[in-house]
Amino acid sequence: MEAKEQIRQTITNHPVVLFMKGNPQAPQCGFSATAVQILKACGVNTFASVDVLADPDIRQGIKDFSNWPTVPQLYVKGEFVGGCDIMKEMYQAGELQKQLEDLASA
Amino acid sequence: MLDPKEIETWIAQGLACEHIAIEGDGQHFAALIVSREFAGMNRVKRQQRVYQTVRGKLDSGELHALSMQTLTPEEWQEKPRDG
Repeated sequence: MEAKEQIRQTITNHPVVLFMKGNPQAPQCGFSATAVQILKACGVNTFASVDVLADPDIRQGIKDFSNWPTVPQLYVKGEFVGGCDIMKEMYQAGELQKQLEDLASA
Repeated sequence: MLDPKEIETWIAQGLACEHIAIEGDGQHFAALIVSREFAGMNRVKRQQRVYQTVRGKLDSGELHALSMQTLTPEEWQEKPRDG
């Protein structure tokens, strides 16, 4: 399957998707680690993650798909939310918690 | 090692900035960018606009990571400063 189609299906089938380097248990980059921590701080403990290091097509594909040249990238309900900086800013402003409210696990 | 000044130049060439300041250790950089162009743009659009100016450097790997704060001159005025 083409990378673009694969990405489209992933963000459609999962309410929260983090494209990152490594996986949530073992992030391979500080920014990806921060993104995982922020999601958890918002109460989202289960989310889909895609390790871009495992697939060069996805790694390039997600950059083109989002028009965003860096990883991590967060998608919520099929929409691009942003990278690590934006997640941090939104978290500090309480906006991300709100957006993820109904997706947080009890 | 990449000099933060160099990144400032790349960005300033592609985007009219009222103010730009970049700090970094040669690997990871943090930028404060103040531009009128950001007015009416959300966070994603602002960063996409800045990324446009350094896309080639990110693709080549010359620049690995740039975290940024993107403000309009008005937002910058209101922002509490250190010191």
